[in-house]
Amino acid sequence: MSLPESMSRIVVAGTKAHMDEAIEVLYSAEAVHLIDHTVDADEGFSIGSPREYSSKASERLLKVRSMEKELGINKHTKTPSLPVEKVQSRILSNSVESAEDEVMRVLDRRNDLNQRIAALNTKKNNLEILQMLPVDLQFYGGYESIVAIVGTVAEDPSEALIRAMDVEYFVATTKKGPTAVAVFMRNRDRDKIMSTLSAFGFSEIQVPVGATGSPAEALKATGTEIAEAEAGLAKVEEELAAIRERHQAFLRASDEELSITVEKGEVPLRIATSEYSFVIDAWVPTKMVHQVKEKLEKDSEGRMYVEFQETRGRKDAETEAVEKRFKTVPTRMNNGRYSSGYEYATKLVDVPKYQEIDPTILIAIFLPMFFGFMVGDVGYAIPFIILGAYGLKVAKGRDWRIIARVLFFGGIWSFLFGLLFYGECLGMHFTGTYSPTGITWEHIFGMEEGALGAFSAVLPDFIHSEGGHTITHVGVGKLVEIPLLLKLSVYVGVVHLMIGYICSFINLKMRHGLKHAFMEQGGWILAFIGLVMFCYALASALIGDMSNLMTVYKVPFVIGIVLLAAGCGINIKSHGGMSIMELPGIVGNILSYTRLAAIGMSKAGMALAFNYIAFIMIYDSMGGILGLILGFAVFLIGHLMIFFLAILSAGLHSLRLQYVELMAKFFVGGGKEYSPLKVTRKKTHYEPLNTENKTKAEV
Amino acid sequence: MALEGDVGSGLIAIGAGIAVGLAGLGSGMAEKDIGAAAVGAITEDASLFGKAMIYMVLPETIVIFGLVIAILAIFVM
Repeated sequence: MSLPESMSRIVVAGTKAHMDEAIEVLYSAEAVHLIDHTVDADEGFSIGSPREYSSKASERLLKVRSMEKELGINKHTKTPSLPVEKVQSRILSNSVESAEDEVMRVLDRRNDLNQRIAALNTKKNNLEILQMLPVDLQFYGGYESIVAIVGTVAEDPSEALIRAMDVEYFVATTKKGPTAVAVFMRNRDRDKIMSTLSAFGFSEIQVPVGATGSPAEALKATGTEIAEAEAGLAKVEEELAAIRERHQAFLRASDEELSITVEKGEVPLRIATSEYSFVIDAWVPTKMVHQVKEKLEKDSEGRMYVEFQETRGRKDAETEAVEKRFKTVPTRMNNGRYSSGYEYATKLVDVPKYQEIDPTILIAIFLPMFFGFMVGDVGYAIPFIILGAYGLKVAKGRDWRIIARVLFFGGIWSFLFGLLFYGECLGMHFTGTYSPTGITWEHIFGMEEGALGAFSAVLPDFIHSEGGHTITHVGVGKLVEIPLLLKLSVYVGVVHLMIGYICSFINLKMRHGLKHAFMEQGGWILAFIGLVMFCYALASALIGDMSNLMTVYKVPFVIGIVLLAAGCGINIKSHGGMSIMELPGIVGNILSYTRLAAIGMSKAGMALAFNYIAFIMIYDSMGGILGLILGFAVFLIGHLMIFFLAILSAGLHSLRLQYVELMAKFFVGGGKEYSPLKVTRKKTHYEPLNTENKTKAEV
Repeated sequence: MALEGDVGSGLIAIGAGIAVGLAGLGSGMAEKDIGAAAVGAITEDASLFGKAMIYMVLPETIVIFGLVIAILAIFVM
């Protein structure tokens, strides 16, 4: 059980004139977690202002990001990493600005062309309507007392037009009915005609200004114009692609470089400055204090002064004694190579507090183990191991990595359980006759019964008498040994929960001392043990013979009641009478672990059904090649389905047992993650040769 | 197994079925509201997944109780 790493507080002081060098040195130490300075925390000090270079860098960063957005460059774009010096010199020689000019010019041209194409398309649509009418374009305009309106209609307006007005009109009709209409009228009749036409679903279109000749010719000309504009657009797109190709490596690299510059430039906003000096409060891992102090003082050539302040303990009293801004200590989770892979699972709930046990190692042990216990089948374990190993190799995202990790290690556990405990592969035992379908791997391979006995000699020794036939070493049948599996699940639960209670006790002892921890949690631990013994005696007696309760199970029964009463007494004293109400919750928690057996059973049940269908219903009754193929198809699809359901049910339930049953017993969370000042470069790098040359030159 | 075609074992089987079925319905009803709220919360802030999952699976224990009763009914009675 690991605690977050011990942290110490240091104070760094220096002169403002050397602030930039100081920031560089702080970043290079990669261990300094800044404590934000608050207004009025120290008399004579105020929050600093960003470095001068920061605003220019932000401006450039904004330009780079907008270009990246326009050109469709994102974090998935693969670009090579560029040398830092080169990127910096290009940024300083205004490469960002010149790239922006270039990109914007092309983008403007693209916008113009897009607008032009949209306008031409409208014109084309209008001309297509005009084309239906037998009037040349020049006749629609140029009159003094006559006006023409053209548009589309839903119904034929001819009759209404004849009846009502003195007009000349043309109606074009297609198979679908009337579509276009052109009406020539006196200027003064225009409003009346419009209202008449509106009853027929009239919608006016514009006749192109200054156009002459037949609409068909105009349409042809417009078509050519559109094609030209589209060709121009394609060329512009090509240019953009070329620009993107040319600049993407620089844009990604300068994005990273400028982000780093901006971040460094804003460090003064987090620290205290006076007129000539600055003071930084920071957390450093205790084991690195000496090293950090030496590095900071040496690298700044003695311009920075580092002073050790305190090493924070886990007691609440220590935390209460300090200033408000020093109360929260950042949590640096302290896990080994294997268990650190599960830190993400802990963080999904919350970051542990500095003053509490980090449950990661418990999750790392129990999560894959429970998964393996629930799957417990060699046939599913091997694909799980392969899938998990592949995932661990290729997956980059934290979510996928933890899934791959659980699949890999869970797969190993389920292989072990499947081989050494259940003796099962794809829902069938290796040997023996008592499995519900009667099919075993010996049976499939046409071996004699017991041929695989030597191999399975390691399996637990359970004796089954069925029809006078006794076989040992067959493994635990998930659908046969149900009482055993249920009992086992409950025992696992008791141990798991007990670990939770003990962790809680340790947390409390660490923060408040032994007496407080005993009053707070000791009652629960006693009540838990008492309840377990009491329930064990009671359940055993209920299942067997009730009269055994006071004879065979007398000892656990009596001790259980005594412990339960003692635990309840302590609880009532420290938590009040309502704490009795929480006792059934403990039973609920323990019973919750029966899901370990239940999910194993449900998998075995499904496997049994598919095996039965494939082997007995299809292959045995149909026989021949067809039976073989059909049986194999059902076998494959069925087991594939169980395999994927296993990821969901076994994985999630196993996680749930950690989150709800275990961690709820002791985990509080709400810690702040340790994030030291440091630079992570992906798209830029320092060239090792250059730095060597430089140091030599400096020397 | 104790189920050999007589009325008593038939009743036991029915009882076991009802125990699991009703318990399953119960946890389903409880989980549906939590699930909807949890999905909403995760859409807003993906870091809530862990906490949302804890609340989401709390009522699941109900169906386990049903299952335990069913198994006891079949194997013990």
